[in-house]
Amino acid sequence: MKTLGRSLAAIVVAFLSFASTPSYAAKASEFMLQNGMKIVVVPDHRAPVVTHMVWYYIGGMDDPPGLSGIAHFFEHLMFKGTQKIPPGELSKIVARNGGQDNAMTSHDFTTYFQRIAKDRLQLVMELEADRIVNLNLSEENVRTEREVVREERRTRIESDPNGIAGEQMSAALHLSHPYGRPVIGWDAEIQNIGRPEAIDFYQHHYAPNNAVLVVVGDVEPAEVLRLAEMTYGQLPRREVAPRAKVVVPPRYAETRIDFKLPNVQLPSFNRVYRVPSYGNTKDGIPESLDVLSTILGGGPTSRLYRTLVVEKRLAVNAGAYYQGGARHAAEFGVYAVPRPGVSFDALEAAIDEVIATMAATPPAAEEFERARTRLVAAHTYEQDSQYALAMDYGSSLIVGMTIADVEDWPNRVAKVTPEDVHRSASEYLIKKEAVTGRVSPEAP
Amino acid sequence: MNAIFKTAILALAMTAPSLAYALTVKTVPAPQGVEAWHSEEHTIPMIAVSISLQGGTAYDPADKLGLASLTASLLDEGAGDLNSAAFKEAMEKRAIRIGFGAGRDYLTVTMTTLTENADEAFRLLGLALSQPRFEENDIERMRAQMLAGLQQDEEDPSTIASKAWSAAYFGDHPYGRPGDGTEASLNAITADDIKAFARAHLVRGGAKVAVAGDITEARLRTLLQQTFGPLPVGNVVAVPRPQTIAKLGTETIALNVPQPAAIFGLPGPMRLTPDFIPTFVANYIFGGGGFASRLMEEVREKRGLTYGIGTGQEDMRTAAIVRGSVESEKGTILTALEVTKAEMTRFANEGVTEKELADAKTYLTGSFPLGLDSNGKIAGALGGYQRAGLAPDYVFKRNAMIEAVTLAQVNAMAKKYYDVNKLTIVIAGTPAPAAAAPAR
Repeated sequence: MKTLGRSLAAIVVAFLSFASTPSYAAKASEFMLQNGMKIVVVPDHRAPVVTHMVWYYIGGMDDPPGLSGIAHFFEHLMFKGTQKIPPGELSKIVARNGGQDNAMTSHDFTTYFQRIAKDRLQLVMELEADRIVNLNLSEENVRTEREVVREERRTRIESDPNGIAGEQMSAALHLSHPYGRPVIGWDAEIQNIGRPEAIDFYQHHYAPNNAVLVVVGDVEPAEVLRLAEMTYGQLPRREVAPRAKVVVPPRYAETRIDFKLPNVQLPSFNRVYRVPSYGNTKDGIPESLDVLSTILGGGPTSRLYRTLVVEKRLAVNAGAYYQGGARHAAEFGVYAVPRPGVSFDALEAAIDEVIATMAATPPAAEEFERARTRLVAAHTYEQDSQYALAMDYGSSLIVGMTIADVEDWPNRVAKVTPEDVHRSASEYLIKKEAVTGRVSPEAP
Repeated sequence: MNAIFKTAILALAMTAPSLAYALTVKTVPAPQGVEAWHSEEHTIPMIAVSISLQGGTAYDPADKLGLASLTASLLDEGAGDLNSAAFKEAMEKRAIRIGFGAGRDYLTVTMTTLTENADEAFRLLGLALSQPRFEENDIERMRAQMLAGLQQDEEDPSTIASKAWSAAYFGDHPYGRPGDGTEASLNAITADDIKAFARAHLVRGGAKVAVAGDITEARLRTLLQQTFGPLPVGNVVAVPRPQTIAKLGTETIALNVPQPAAIFGLPGPMRLTPDFIPTFVANYIFGGGGFASRLMEEVREKRGLTYGIGTGQEDMRTAAIVRGSVESEKGTILTALEVTKAEMTRFANEGVTEKELADAKTYLTGSFPLGLDSNGKIAGALGGYQRAGLAPDYVFKRNAMIEAVTLAQVNAMAKKYYDVNKLTIVIAGTPAPAAAAPAR
């Protein structure tokens, strides 16, 4: 799942789908306003600042046919003024008050956030509440911003061979499911989005009852609730369009793509598997996939790195990742960069062997423990960052998890066994659920 | 709701946000040559560490470019009686994170550990700094990764432009050379070169350590003694000041890409001179302030010519620049640069308004705590102040320094530094004739 932001600062978002640790854990309070807006508050009193995020159950998945990219484009338009705030002014008001703001869109969510001094919380709540209902778009602002979004697409996708390959591989993996459409949209479809389409999208999706408010920082839950009632609480509930009922279509065979692209200097091997996510599967399976990706490809002691890079010297780098934070199917990736002179066939045979071994026998106790320790400790480290905590709660709730699910995550990871990891490898890392892409330079 | 709204915005915008909080910074006694700062905070059972040693890429010999970076990449590849795999397993077993990297002037280390594993974390760090193994097969592996990194850089117009800009601006000075080397220079580096570099630069002299989080001063003192005591004091001399800008004007690197990238820059004030803070405020208004900056307003918001444009100050030990970047479709990149230059001329000639200055001050002072709200950020920020040569109390004085900046000072800095005739510009990508007029 790709996450796109309004400005470059938001690109570096560690996408974590879990929270809290046995040794130290934040505790969230949860409320619901009368109009149906959910509220989550996590106190952190170390510095006099707050992180304020509003998450909407709106994302690239909700783009209507022919208008791919509209959820993301609309995120940009939310900065283009309301009846009270002139276009572009919201970010300037936040900055004048010593705050920072930005926004992000993925397939599943759109989120807007500010980081600011705690005595400015009411201000940002007022600004955010205002644009849920009072947006005021001009033709000209839509037209100019469309060019900004097209530049963003050139920056992220068209200037980067791996961006192009990743977009094509996702399209092939998810078949007709909307996760196969790029969040930023196809360029020709971005050009089809005008003011009427934007307003229609706004009216059918933006409402307090379609949002989750997350506040982390130097505040008490009761105070946040009081301020939220004064601001968001004044907005009426509004009927929103039901999310499209989409199915995850069956796959019957591996898809293989040989990319020959301009401007490739460094060939790369990529495989992405369609696997269960935290949003669509319980019973510890996503947790086992997190442990599996760590053992298989999480850094220099992982099996892929050790086998391909250190022992067989076939690759310069190799690894794996699991992006479990999705409502529907998640992506599990495996990648390697071949050493000069090593063929893709030799590289892929070695990768397949590593995966086959993983699927054949449970991991050894020591490597299993190391992986589990690192995952659980990552959650104590996460408590150090208001932003990371707010991202964690928000992105988890938005795909259907509960606060209890989020805070119990380390306990569930602790229950994963070596057998679970082995079973997940054999059940989910299978070729018919995969797209394999080899990226090499265009013939001269 | 309308009524509450306007009152609140007006009332709040007139006062600065409150900043009082419990941040402390103390100097801690450490082995001779080491400057250690400590920010103690016990809420979360973890510790963040930033270390800077005088061993950045500026110290690479001209025919061994990439030596500092390669050496840094090998410091977690085995030390003492632990080979590469054993060293990494020892870190992972206790979820200790240690990262080594080479900047222009300093070799930097970041370390994060749970409090309960602090002894082991500092022990591994000490081993890495005092007894690195530098085994032949590990050297080969990291060299291959750096060579691949160079190839990957060639796929990215921004990186190509950035490297070429440094070469154009600094010429033969060490700051102009590529810190990750070239294919030829990386292949020329031997194990003896790496060992000699480590002997000369992994030293106590000029070392800076910043530690934030759940650790008492007494325990920190012991760990600093154990970690840095075994290192020699050494004698590292800063690189000389660059004399002149090697190449003014615009250089274009022909590339068939849809969206060329441009880097533009000129001389800036040195970090410890009185010009620095007023220029910092000026730069926020010109190009540093994101959506509050003039460049973002003119190039993105009004004309839709780019996704991102901005400028920043970069201070090195013996040089300082103001540098910016922009990417735009090949038919509009030249327009984007023309607008940028026109804005720079207007900025230098007309200066800023009282309102722009007041807004810059409320942002720069009000947002300061946002960069100091976690142990990781505090260690990182303190490490940056140490490298800049600032005092431990800078963090408490910095906002007053910004408040004291006057309109006359900002306008003088705008005139002095933002001179389009001093620009060095590199465009990576081939501009095309504009397909259509800009959106407005």
